[in-house]
Amino acid sequence: MTSWFQSTPKAEPVIEPGPSLSLPPPTAAVESNDVLQRLAAREASMLEAQVNFLTPELLQVDSLVREAAGTLEDALKTLNKSVTQQHLLAGEIQAAMHGSLQGEGEGESMGGTIMGTLDGFVHHITEISESTGLLVEQVDEIRERSERMEEMLGELTEIAGRTHLLSLNASIEAAHARQFGAGFAVVAGEVSKLADRSTALSSTIQEQIHGTRQALERTDAHMQSIASKDMDVALRSKEQAQELVQSLQITNFIVRDLVGQLEENAGKVAQQVGHVVRSLQFEDLVHQTLVACLKELGNLLDQSQAWKALEGRLAAGEPQGPALADLEAKLVEIEGARVQFRAVKSGSLAAGEVDLF
Amino acid sequence: MARCILTVDDSSTMRQMITFTLKGANFDVVEAEDGVHALEVAKGRKLDLIITDVNMPRMDGLTLVARLRALPEFKFTPILVLTTESDQSMKMRGKEAGATGWIVKPFSPEKLMDVVNKVI
Repeated sequence: MTSWFQSTPKAEPVIEPGPSLSLPPPTAAVESNDVLQRLAAREASMLEAQVNFLTPELLQVDSLVREAAGTLEDALKTLNKSVTQQHLLAGEIQAAMHGSLQGEGEGESMGGTIMGTLDGFVHHITEISESTGLLVEQVDEIRERSERMEEMLGELTEIAGRTHLLSLNASIEAAHARQFGAGFAVVAGEVSKLADRSTALSSTIQEQIHGTRQALERTDAHMQSIASKDMDVALRSKEQAQELVQSLQITNFIVRDLVGQLEENAGKVAQQVGHVVRSLQFEDLVHQTLVACLKELGNLLDQSQAWKALEGRLAAGEPQGPALADLEAKLVEIEGARVQFRAVKSGSLAAGEVDLF
Repeated sequence: MARCILTVDDSSTMRQMITFTLKGANFDVVEAEDGVHALEVAKGRKLDLIITDVNMPRMDGLTLVARLRALPEFKFTPILVLTTESDQSMKMRGKEAGATGWIVKPFSPEKLMDVVNKVI
């Protein structure tokens, strides 16, 4: 900052003793001259000593205030930078959380999208499971038909057995009939062979049907297991996804609330920063007040010099009249140079008035 | 493009507080520490507003206002005086010199921004 006055190094104030009063003058005029001379010397000395004492004190106050203001300014800038950073981070967090659960531009929530996808997945699995259930029913029907076929084959086997028995009886009867039963014996033999083949075929078919039924039963068990597992997995996945989405929504709500609190806090800090900006101007107000005080001290120093000049002239034996007249003129000149207005009228740091012309 | 404001004050604290406030509202700010310096800084520059102190070394604020008003490029540029002076006679001198408004220190950032947004 440019100073209006020349800074001088602080020096210890020196209060010089006034001239000795121990020499009594021989006449009244001489005595009057001596008294005036002593008074002038004392006045000059006191004024100079007071100025020498006050000037460095005021300069020190100015220096301390300037240093304090500088430190506060740096702190304010750092604080403001931190708050700005915090504001940006809060915005980024809010945007990130918004983006994580809200669709971009379509107003569709990501949670809704996840649940929609899972609903589709579960519906698809349910359809597969239902189809598998239908297949199980059809397999059951095939198995029932196989059982009925096995029953029927049992009857066929029984018929074949009876036919074989009948052919045996017929052969016996043909043997009783001797040469008259020879042809009948041949027929009975053929019927017996046919019955044997029928029995063998029935047995083979029964084995095949039995094998088929067992395969169907295994298929049925697998399909029931698959249908059950599909539904369980789908429903469990949906429940877990619902919990996940709910958890994300709660987290989002909490983060939004925290970000809101951060923003509210940042607003309060910004308000306080405004107060700090206003209050920090005390440095300028104090400086201007001190400058005015130092100007007045300069005037006091001039007065000291004027009194000192008077003392010198009287000591040199000059007549009082012209010397006093010059002193008066000098004092009038100094009075004219005095500070006319108080530099700072406000006694507080409340914001000043505003006038627009 | 951000609008540019010149702030003139011999107190670095005041310049910093004004700059801090204006930059917070996205203005570009240039600084000068007295009237003479301000005329140098303003030369050839497009300024949307000038905020000046009154009591400064080398050239005071009211002289600066009058000198700027004499320049064609700053004939209509808003000029605010920001000073500790609150005497009516001083305000009148400022108005006669061509100032747009008078703000008594200390300023509050909100009030300053209100005035800036009104005159700019």
